[in-house]
Amino acid sequence: MFFRVIDKERLPDLITGLGTEYEVIAPVEKDGRFVYAPVVDPAEVRLDYDTTLLPPKKWFFPAEETLMRFRVADNEVLDDEVFAAPRVLFGLHPCDINALLLMDNVFTGRYADPYYMRRREQTLLIGVSCTPSDTCFCNVWDTNEVHWGFDVFLTDMGDRYFASCRTVKGAEILDRFVENRTVSDEDTREFQRVVHDFKEAFDRTVDTTQLPVLLDAKFDSPIWDEFGEKCLSCGACSMVCPTCYCFDVHDRLEPDQKSGVRVRTWDSCQFKEFAAVAHGQNFRDTRASRVKYRYYHKQWGYLSKFERVLCVGCGRCARACPAGINPVNVIEALQTGEVR
Amino acid sequence: MNNTQVVMTRDIDANPYHPWPARITSIMDLTDKEKLFELRIIDEDVREAFEFQSGQFVELSIFGVGEAPISISSAPSKQGFIELCVRDSGDVTGALHAKQCGDVVGLRGPYGRGFPFEDMKGHDVLLVAGGLGIAPLKSLINHIHDERHEFGKVTILYGSRNPAEVLFRYQFDMWKHRDDFDLILTVDQPDDTWDGETGLVTKLFDQIDVDPDNTYGAICGPPVMYKYVIEEMRKKNMDVDRIYVSFERRMKCGIGKCGHCGVGHQYTCVDGPVFNYWEAMNLQGAI
Repeated sequence: MFFRVIDKERLPDLITGLGTEYEVIAPVEKDGRFVYAPVVDPAEVRLDYDTTLLPPKKWFFPAEETLMRFRVADNEVLDDEVFAAPRVLFGLHPCDINALLLMDNVFTGRYADPYYMRRREQTLLIGVSCTPSDTCFCNVWDTNEVHWGFDVFLTDMGDRYFASCRTVKGAEILDRFVENRTVSDEDTREFQRVVHDFKEAFDRTVDTTQLPVLLDAKFDSPIWDEFGEKCLSCGACSMVCPTCYCFDVHDRLEPDQKSGVRVRTWDSCQFKEFAAVAHGQNFRDTRASRVKYRYYHKQWGYLSKFERVLCVGCGRCARACPAGINPVNVIEALQTGEVR
Repeated sequence: MNNTQVVMTRDIDANPYHPWPARITSIMDLTDKEKLFELRIIDEDVREAFEFQSGQFVELSIFGVGEAPISISSAPSKQGFIELCVRDSGDVTGALHAKQCGDVVGLRGPYGRGFPFEDMKGHDVLLVAGGLGIAPLKSLINHIHDERHEFGKVTILYGSRNPAEVLFRYQFDMWKHRDDFDLILTVDQPDDTWDGETGLVTKLFDQIDVDPDNTYGAICGPPVMYKYVIEEMRKKNMDVDRIYVSFERRMKCGIGKCGHCGVGHQYTCVDGPVFNYWEAMNLQGAI
């Protein structure tokens, strides 16, 4: 890796410079909370944000997108071009970068998804260090550290940033758009101190011992009925989750009925019809079965394929759930057999 | 024209969601609700590249309506055409039923893991179907038929609700007179014309002999059926990892992404739809 130091007061130059060649997406304030949004003025960017309402996944996998245009008469695809503008996602926290790496496992590889891939290829990621908020539990999954998947990562050292460049492109944009200097021994010592303090700041512990085994062994545990009673099946947890990737596909006809678009939208395993088949059978028709499936898939299904859990501990689902279901409490309940 | 086709093939390679146009070359009414469609993929390169195993499925795509996963009913030994046995039970299948010979629909696939045909060679095979579950098993049955000399004893047990719902009757009538297939049909509600057995398919296990050390089982039917048929096979001492089941789930994308077909810790579309019983036992909520 290649390192540079940037004075904090110079950082707006980087955002302005990037803006000349890329669409810059960064955290901005909205009604007292934060969202990723296109920015023009660097002064809008709030790198002191806690977490954003929606995760960055929507810039690669939008809540709704057109997969193809079609003609009905001969069942022919008219157009399935994937257009992606050059873009920078600026100010991602380590959890959200790690979440994209987990999404990559699903959307790249076998049967690679060209829509996701094209946007991913066209987007630079610039990460920034964070401070833990009261719903964060990324330390539990070691996703408070990120080692790859970004172009540049900025570690806040008070009056300056310690910039780690992971890619050629990352190094190039730093040199082109912002005044920077090489790293001194003092900078490296300060970096070490800062990242140690950061790690120390997490005090949440969650017992994740043998979760996949527990999910199987306690499959019929009454805790799921209790969480099922609470759950409203609203799907908010999936929508705000940086790693939830389930989708549905619909065809939408033009008024003349001759052509139309095939559209993909976010979906949630918490919705009642999610696992229903044509003949009327619904394999997860109770709320309890659906809540359980969400955890079962995240902590065991995904892990069985990619050796990681499908959660980065960002805490968005805990904030979004109108019924107050928190993943930390679910995991604890699974361990202890009691819902607190 | 030739040029267009090359471009289309390349697009198809690049985009797994892109359906291949296929022409309906034959439609046969099987019952009131089920028809057998024969399809031919129009693009020659794609058609030749389309190789499948019994037990795999395709995504049938009708633009303006949507997509539905349908298991392939013809045998891999029949090339150039594929057959889909489809019940009119939803939007896409309803739209397909309204199509005529010569109409064009879309196909993606083949997807998933099929039956272990090569492993089954040299062994006895016991196939058990219930209702529309005969659709994927018919591919395996026909494939075994086409390479009959490679197999030991072949037994087919097939249960339907009533005689009018028995699928592929023309084929079974043809085989009734052969001594190299033990074919037993049963219905729950017989009528005056019925000359087969009466009762659930599990009842037929009293009539068959199984060599437990040398038999592969294959089961497909309504979800409620699996547990009871597996029980009968286990009573015959068949090994858990030689009993194969095919699951129906909501395979919306077919390529392990959309999440709808999750069963236990697996996805039916890429990890199944065929699982052996040992695997199925390890899928919580599967049976």
